[in-house]
Amino acid sequence: MIRFDVHVTAAGGLHARPAALLVNKAGQFQSKVTVIKDQKKADGKSILGIMTLGASLGDWLTFEIEGADEEQAAAALKELFDKQFES
Amino acid sequence: MLRGLFSRKKQQQEVTLLAPLTGEVVALTEVPDPVFAQKVVGDGAAIIPTEGVLVSPLAGSVTHLFPTHHAIALTSESGLEILLHIGIDTVKLKGEGFTPHVKAGDQVKPGDKLISFDLDVLQKAGCPIVTPVVITNGDLVAEKKVVSTGSVRAGQEPLMQVIVKGGAS
Repeated sequence: MIRFDVHVTAAGGLHARPAALLVNKAGQFQSKVTVIKDQKKADGKSILGIMTLGASLGDWLTFEIEGADEEQAAAALKELFDKQFES
Repeated sequence: MLRGLFSRKKQQQEVTLLAPLTGEVVALTEVPDPVFAQKVVGDGAAIIPTEGVLVSPLAGSVTHLFPTHHAIALTSESGLEILLHIGIDTVKLKGEGFTPHVKAGDQVKPGDKLISFDLDVLQKAGCPIVTPVVITNGDLVAEKKVVSTGSVRAGQEPLMQVIVKGGAS
């Protein structure tokens, strides 16, 4: 399992658009993706789950990724945050 | 074997979503935001509102009200997750122009007021007012169709008919 933290730097936090992009990216991999904020866990493949975390600008999120392609999934998801969801 | 004989088929449920806004129904593909237009968030429809009152399209609960009150997610009794996103880029208004009438965890009935909003505030800020109504857990959907075209009245006319796969509850 790979575990890493990201800092939410997008203005407005993980609102509908970034949540959708995150879930879309997570869905491209077989691995199970869990996103955690303050002990609240959400399925990284559920848009509503991610939105319900209510991650705002400045929050830290922990990702837990487990599966055959966890390394690729982790790299792709980190990149999303590095680029602030701009493709 | 016997169990196989007596097991009842899980029943599919049909859910009708009422129009959550008064206005003009348009295809999701016409929404000027690629994550909605390309159905990344989910499939559904969109409405260009003529009145600033968002009502519940179905019976269910409020799963999430965005802190900026520009969008709300509901979960129907059959497990369908619906996102109602008022306008485009409206997260940047930081709540200005939006008045919520419900909070997360509330039970709602079809036609219940969810959020009031000021169309003038959105338009002055340059935000498109077209409002996507999408199903965010499409894997639960066996079939769906948008049954309205043209103008609709909030809470009075159906917008979409959805058949939810059995065993969701």
